[in-house]
Amino acid sequence: MKTASRILGSAFFREGFEVQDAPRYGAERRGAPIFAYVRAAREPIHERGVITRPDLVVVADDSLVSVAAAGVLVGASARTVMLICSNDDAAVWRERLGLDGPVFTLACEPAPDDEVRFLGAASAGAASRFTGVIGRESLEHAIREELQDLRPEAVERNVGEGLTAFDEMEAHAGCLSEGTIRSAEAYEDPNWVELPFEGVEISAPDIHGAATSVQVRTGLWRTMRPVIDYDRCNRCSWICTTFCPDSAIHADADRTPRIDYDNCKGCLVCVAVCPPHAIAAVPEQVAVAADSEEAST
Amino acid sequence: MSERASETAFRRMKDLPSTHLLGAGTATCAGCGGLQAIHEIYDVLGEKTIFVNAAGCMTLLSIYPFTPFRGSWLYTAMACAPAGAQGVRDALDILKDKGRIPAEEDLRVVVLTGDGAAYGMGLSSTSAAIDRDLDFLYICYDNEGYGNTGQQSSAGTPHAARTSTHRGALGYPGFKKDLFSIWAANRPAYVATVTGAEPVDLARKVEKAAAMRGPRLLIALSPCPTGWSYEPKDSVEIGRLAVETGVWPLKEYVDGRVVHTRRPRKRVPVEEYLRLQGRFAHLFEPERNDALLDEIQARVDAYWEAAD
Repeated sequence: MKTASRILGSAFFREGFEVQDAPRYGAERRGAPIFAYVRAAREPIHERGVITRPDLVVVADDSLVSVAAAGVLVGASARTVMLICSNDDAAVWRERLGLDGPVFTLACEPAPDDEVRFLGAASAGAASRFTGVIGRESLEHAIREELQDLRPEAVERNVGEGLTAFDEMEAHAGCLSEGTIRSAEAYEDPNWVELPFEGVEISAPDIHGAATSVQVRTGLWRTMRPVIDYDRCNRCSWICTTFCPDSAIHADADRTPRIDYDNCKGCLVCVAVCPPHAIAAVPEQVAVAADSEEAST
Repeated sequence: MSERASETAFRRMKDLPSTHLLGAGTATCAGCGGLQAIHEIYDVLGEKTIFVNAAGCMTLLSIYPFTPFRGSWLYTAMACAPAGAQGVRDALDILKDKGRIPAEEDLRVVVLTGDGAAYGMGLSSTSAAIDRDLDFLYICYDNEGYGNTGQQSSAGTPHAARTSTHRGALGYPGFKKDLFSIWAANRPAYVATVTGAEPVDLARKVEKAAAMRGPRLLIALSPCPTGWSYEPKDSVEIGRLAVETGVWPLKEYVDGRVVHTRRPRKRVPVEEYLRLQGRFAHLFEPERNDALLDEIQARVDAYWEAAD
């Protein structure tokens, strides 16, 4: 997404706009939500920082919608254009999220010969089209400029993805409207919580519970789910439980391993080390669909 | 060596602890080789351990109000975890001397840092702690770069690895600092290298270190999917290959001698290890860099020639 924002920013710049683009990170790890902001205007931009009232929101991964920390709907209004990278269609998302404004989706399915779709370039391509002011050439130039470190084949793939998405969204050119400029005088404080100064015995964070981290549902990061075939499992549980980096596999008294799906991040180390190959990797969406089918029958 | 082995409780995978102390749900990356080593180490050390953690990836372990530990954790700046450990050790000793805590409530003081602190920024305070013969165990999870901030080069980065600060065709121009020998030269109680992919070797060394007093170090090679650029599921495979290729010698310094606890009989070519990692992809594409590959292999060969 950081690259997508840079591409969009550079494309705006080539069209003569003043531009800001900036990424915001939480933890530097795979699976952590990241944000990237682009502001563009014909006039010098005096606003700074996080965008709180977006005209366009691009969601690179639809599983982020259920992650509170990602806050994909924060600040969205009826005029905010939503672009969601998802295999579910726009009508489904409009209903699911109760949105009145325009919603579009980019399918995540890759072209037949490709393994994955390069959604960064594709999102930037779609977003450029929505603006109605970025030309095809500026988009292509921006992609080449931002990705010049990559191998030539990768650059060509990205250019292809970006331009395809740009063309796909032709009917929606210019659907994005320009927001109003906010002046500093209209600035309102966020709802700060005033905390009085307290002595260190009160104010220093002190945790008295043991292993409270299990309450953090890192299972939400998972895109692939390890599933144990208990008919093939040898009960050599010291292997999967030791190698699981997250202590997310425990063994019963009879050594039957149990995966804690609330916390399993889906790294698939267990799949790789299991001696009888009794653990399969199932796409999380497929596993969730199977779960809900089972629950309904 | 064989006599020592018979003293250990850990002879095969089956002997490893079956209950795991470290709580799940931490924010480390999926497939983290550092967390894998830490949870294996914690199982052997036990609950009566206090971790003094310098800033680094493992900052992510304890985020208020959540902790994966069953006991205390103290957070310090990058360079001063051994100084923090000194304070904790002294406080515990004073409490014991004054009879304010019974001896059985004493805690084992463990410093936990990454390679950025252990090989670089924190080496000065570590050196001073060794001078004072501080009774502590230092655990370094070595993922060969400043992983928490995007894998900038550290003094633990291997030659030719691509990092976010060395992105050219030759990667990092320096050489991985020999932290094991720096420690050993100061005649501490114990120094050992381990990796989470070799849990029995790791458990024996932790068991041995836990029974000693004085400055002790465990350096855990920690395969890092994010920083080394490979699929998280390959963390164990890469750790094993680091040992089988001879890139990461498993060894210990004890009683004034260095002993290799694993001598790969027939070393796998280093290329097999490098090829799996995106941080070495520039050695194979667009053209194979035979000169650099040969140089890396020659250094590993020279190490083992000297060791044999």
